[in-house]
Amino acid sequence: MKTDLSPRMKTALYGLMCVLLIPFVFPTWWMITSSVKPISDIFAFPPDLWPRRFDLTTYARVFELQPFARQYWNSAYIAALVTAGTMVISSMAGYAFARIKFPFSNAIFMVVLLGLLIPSEVTIVPLFQIFLGWGMINTHWPLILVPIFGAPSVFATFVMRQFFIALPNELEEAARVDGLGRFKIFWTIALPLAKPALGAVAIFTFLHSWNLYLEPIVFLSSTQMFTLPQALTQFTDAYGGAMWNIQLAAATMTAIPVLLVFIVAQKQFVEGLAHTGLKG
Amino acid sequence: MAPVTLKSVTKSYGATSVLHGIDIDIADGEFVVLVGPSGCGKSTLLRMIAGLETITGGAIEIGGRVVNDLEPKDRDIAMVFQNYALYPHMTVATNMGFSLEHRGGSKAEIAERVQWAAGILGLTHLLDRYPRQLSGGQRQRVAMGRAIVRNPQVFLFDEPLSNLDAKLRVVMRGEIKGLHQRLGVTTVYVTHDQVEAMTMADRIVVMNGGKVEQVGAPLDLYDRPANLFVAGFIGSPAMNFIEGIVTNEGLVALGVTLPLTNSAPLGTKATYGIRPENLTLAADGLPAKITLIEPMGSETQVTMTLGDHTITGVFRERIAARPGETIHIRPDLNAIHLFDASTGLRIE
Ligand SMILES: Nc1ncnc2c1ncn2[C@@H]1O[C@H](COP(=O)(O)OP(=O)(O)OP(=O)(O)O)[C@@H](O)[C@H]1O
Ligand SMILES: [Mg+2]
Repeated sequence: MKTDLSPRMKTALYGLMCVLLIPFVFPTWWMITSSVKPISDIFAFPPDLWPRRFDLTTYARVFELQPFARQYWNSAYIAALVTAGTMVISSMAGYAFARIKFPFSNAIFMVVLLGLLIPSEVTIVPLFQIFLGWGMINTHWPLILVPIFGAPSVFATFVMRQFFIALPNELEEAARVDGLGRFKIFWTIALPLAKPALGAVAIFTFLHSWNLYLEPIVFLSSTQMFTLPQALTQFTDAYGGAMWNIQLAAATMTAIPVLLVFIVAQKQFVEGLAHTGLKG
Repeated sequence: MAPVTLKSVTKSYGATSVLHGIDIDIADGEFVVLVGPSGCGKSTLLRMIAGLETITGGAIEIGGRVVNDLEPKDRDIAMVFQNYALYPHMTVATNMGFSLEHRGGSKAEIAERVQWAAGILGLTHLLDRYPRQLSGGQRQRVAMGRAIVRNPQVFLFDEPLSNLDAKLRVVMRGEIKGLHQRLGVTTVYVTHDQVEAMTMADRIVVMNGGKVEQVGAPLDLYDRPANLFVAGFIGSPAMNFIEGIVTNEGLVALGVTLPLTNSAPLGTKATYGIRPENLTLAADGLPAKITLIEPMGSETQVTMTLGDHTITGVFRERIAARPGETIHIRPDLNAIHLFDASTGLRIE
């Protein structure tokens, strides 16, 4: 998609994009700069875009006030497991729905899709009772199992199915003639070509798990077990007042993996796109 | 190498019948071209031989063995697809060696076969590239390479040249033919291009509407088409058809009487067929009024009105006449085809 714009149009376009960028960039900027300000400077008026005094102790305080490293680990390993599990399930289920003929496959797919329509607030109480019965309250199991077998996985399955439907059938037929069985075709042909879709699935699944808030609050009760979004709400002084600068320091650290995931998965995304398509 | 035999092969998709009983005998090492208009079932038939489509009725034998229920991989065939179907995420070498790898060949053996195939096809310097870094003709060669490394019993081609430009098509046509002469592997080749069929085939199978119209050597089909469909399909520009009635003077049609040598019963309603290249200029010939002249250099193609009929002629001469003027033409008496007007079958 290359269009030739006149230099003036280009300048105008970039100018417009810069303006539109402000509402997206400003909160991040505010979060990062405020995390190194003494708390009294945060509410200075007019606001400082660049801190006039630096207070780097906020980052150390984060770890003193909460078992933050532990909470960080909780969030990280839960998100990693959820992402891995969802990628496995959604790619296999998506492939089956797209390519394997079995009775009522479309009807079954519809039923699966309905899972997207039920808000998690509706199912949280029954889920709580189920996990209570299994003795899994105040463990991480609900946070791992619910997304892998719930709405995020359904959405991922949908994405993967759409991708596999669009993948040229000729490639798989060539593989069949070359002597591959169904699973090998999936594993050596379909899946490697599905990198862009898998990248998208990985991004949103990871983000979904990383940002999960309602479920941890319901299922977890001890600080040691908390995940990051939940931990962020805990930075208050003895009187319940928010310790803004420390909270923002914690928030900044929470945001870093999100940025990393975007950078890594996006590269996969673009590489994968360059691979697909039978003719270049 | 192996013969391929089709015995009353049928195919239906649900209630829609697509192939209505196909019988073809393909000899060991033969190059057979399936040709016919779009939608006549060529690809379906080829894919049934490959094992990519189920067989509704009849039997397909490869090397004397019924393969109806065998998976493609167990039929010992190799197929070249219209869009090449190269694996985009593998290099040329991996693409070509892929099938051997999954049949448990040793690394050295695979590399050797790939080198051998690449050598034949002039791909040696491209082995490390990815398909997207190749031109159309190179991709086509890789697809062929992938087929030959494995040394299969039968090659199947489905319109392999249709994505190439006219010039490259001629080149690749020669290469495929050369490859066949070199390897001698039984080949079934699908195309809707009758020039490809004529130039490449040992035998042509002309298909139409899910049936075989005629099977024969290219020149047999050209010289003695069994029916109107084959007569009209084989040859370019297409054969002229004029309907009329057989009389003592020849075939009487609207506005013109055409000379005949065939011994059809008098009074038969018949279609007279004459190829454009079998018309010659002759001062004592039939008068025809020119509507269009297309000089090609080596020959001249003329569209004209003969009686009430529009016909085409191809002449070796350069023609000075202009549209609207009259020329005199004579059909070559040895090249006249006569078909029964009601059945469309050839009358000897
Ligand atoms: N999956 C299918 N379901 C129903 N009908 C089908 C299916 N596949 C093919 N057909 C029909 O079978 C007929 C033959 O198709 P086929 O692809 O073999 O034609 P073809 O001779 O290869 O034509 P072309 O030259 O356009 O490739 C067509 O009328 C087509 O509509
Ligand atoms: Mg076809």
